[in-house]
Amino acid sequence: MAWVTWRQHRSQLVAGLGLLVALAAAALGTDLPIRAAYHRDALSGCLPPSARSGCDIIVKHFQGEFASWAAAVRGLAVLPALAGLFVGAPLLARELEHGTHRFAWTQSVTRRRWLLSKTSLLAAATVAAASLASAIVMWWRSPFDTLEGRMGPSGFDIEGLVVPAYAFYALALGVLAGLLLRRTVAAMTLTLVVFAATRLVVLEFLRPRFLAPLHRTVLASDGGRQAGDWVLSDTLVDAGGRRITTGHEDLAVLHAQHAGIDPHTYLITLGWKRVISYQPGGRFWTFQLIEAGIFVTLAVAVIAVTLWCVRRNPT
Amino acid sequence: MSRRLDGGEEAQAPASPGPGGKSGASPLEARGLGKRFRREWGLRDCTLELPRGAIVGLAGANAAGKSTLLALATGLLTPTEGTISVLGRDPLRDPAVLAEVGFVAQGAPLYRSFTVADSIEFARRTNTRSDSSIAAELLPSLGSRTKVGDLSAGDRARLALALALGKRPQLLLLDEPFAGLDPLAGREFLQLLMDGVAETSATVVIASHVIADIERVCDHIVLLAGGGVRLQGNVEALLDSHRLLMGPRRPLGSIRGVREIVRERHSGRQLTLLVTTDGPIVDPSWRVDHVALEELLLAYMAPERLPTPQPPERVPLRWHG
Repeated sequence: MAWVTWRQHRSQLVAGLGLLVALAAAALGTDLPIRAAYHRDALSGCLPPSARSGCDIIVKHFQGEFASWAAAVRGLAVLPALAGLFVGAPLLARELEHGTHRFAWTQSVTRRRWLLSKTSLLAAATVAAASLASAIVMWWRSPFDTLEGRMGPSGFDIEGLVVPAYAFYALALGVLAGLLLRRTVAAMTLTLVVFAATRLVVLEFLRPRFLAPLHRTVLASDGGRQAGDWVLSDTLVDAGGRRITTGHEDLAVLHAQHAGIDPHTYLITLGWKRVISYQPGGRFWTFQLIEAGIFVTLAVAVIAVTLWCVRRNPT
Repeated sequence: MSRRLDGGEEAQAPASPGPGGKSGASPLEARGLGKRFRREWGLRDCTLELPRGAIVGLAGANAAGKSTLLALATGLLTPTEGTISVLGRDPLRDPAVLAEVGFVAQGAPLYRSFTVADSIEFARRTNTRSDSSIAAELLPSLGSRTKVGDLSAGDRARLALALALGKRPQLLLLDEPFAGLDPLAGREFLQLLMDGVAETSATVVIASHVIADIERVCDHIVLLAGGGVRLQGNVEALLDSHRLLMGPRRPLGSIRGVREIVRERHSGRQLTLLVTTDGPIVDPSWRVDHVALEELLLAYMAPERLPTPQPPERVPLRWHG
């Protein structure tokens, strides 16, 4: 089956390799100016424990300088979906669309084995490619990671173990969608929708609760957020711990300005504090493991369903 | 790894019923087999048993259930009711039986982007037994580097057949193999089929809606009509047991030697009956004739009894077409 898989999917493999080479070349090309700027501004001196004075401005300047690049790299979050769209979805849909399953599934290889061999070989290739892409991104983002951390979605989603796990899940989804819809384009659409929905649900509802978030109470005037943490919520409370609405806060600030008092000082005299709820950056790998585990489990479940369907109700 | 794929758990499943498809078991046997698609039945109450080594014509109009039956036999569809067994084994529960079955689906599907050589390699990699010599004989005329998508319909059909024959199957299923082939390509296909079958002594099932194709090669007939089996048996025996009676129009009583009237047709004062016999017909008022296979099958495909047509004088004479 290895030969069969290679023969049928070599164009996808070549395209995947091309994508990786392009990614590596782009990373190499853009990395040089970033590292140069990093050293020029001596940004390593601005890392959280030993924050020099003026670091705020230097870091902001650095981030502003490379904001568009960092945003582009954030866009690589769509990369794992490609495995589902262009490898997973056509796997069965194209066979069913062209009727070639009647040829492929009536040889001596049982169709369950045919599907399992092809899926696992393609999954292995996908996972390898996604791991490599993830490593490239991690290397490229390391200056940003040291400054702003990688616990927030802009770093977390494109680094580490979750990238191959997403790709594996997208691939599995594509295969099942192809079996159910029997049309390549329709299967690609369904794959994209379900994949995006799953990612969104995990990101919005599950990931903030993988472990109980920590809380930090700071003075109302304190603007500083600790770099490296993923801030889930940042609310103003009064001395009794009741939440203060934005409208209320605006009113207080307005009141202070009218009275000619510094608003920050005024808020402090009111006894108001800010409660920040966050996931610390130190939990990065734990969270990576948990999230990758979730997606791998989902992928295996989807593959199991596909195998069951293909055996029970083939066409 | 590819050579051992079939050796997995399914191949040695102890649950495989019957004598493993060697001797005794019919190559294809169905009991009360039915398949319902979303609304309607593609095949219903199909009971048949094919003899070993026969060349079976699976006849029937379009949508009579021929392709459905073949898809059920190859495990591409699950029966809604009834059972089907191939070489004594259930093609769904025991898919390893497909190693013994050659199947060329309608339109001879192959991968269009593969070259001829790739297709032969595919068959070699996905089968336990794959004799590429049959396909290799075709290579000079096809060209090993030609893409399957660029082959003519006839060449593609022959390649598909050669790959199926390469499995050295005990049962060979061909779905509308002659559809879309010109007469010459059809003859070449048939030549390849006959050569291959002569070597393997496989049971062959040829599904076709063209009776002439079936008449050329088949020695056994299964006629599907209205989703079920209408007629089956050895061609010679069937022709032997049917007679065409012609005589003047008259009220029909029972005729000696006639078991059943299959079809009656009136034309003017002439009455033509297709009957099954259980003895010689001696009544001199009937002219007794042998029936051709095509007419026999058409009679069974048509509704039971044709209604008496209008008197001829009231039917306007008109050219057809």
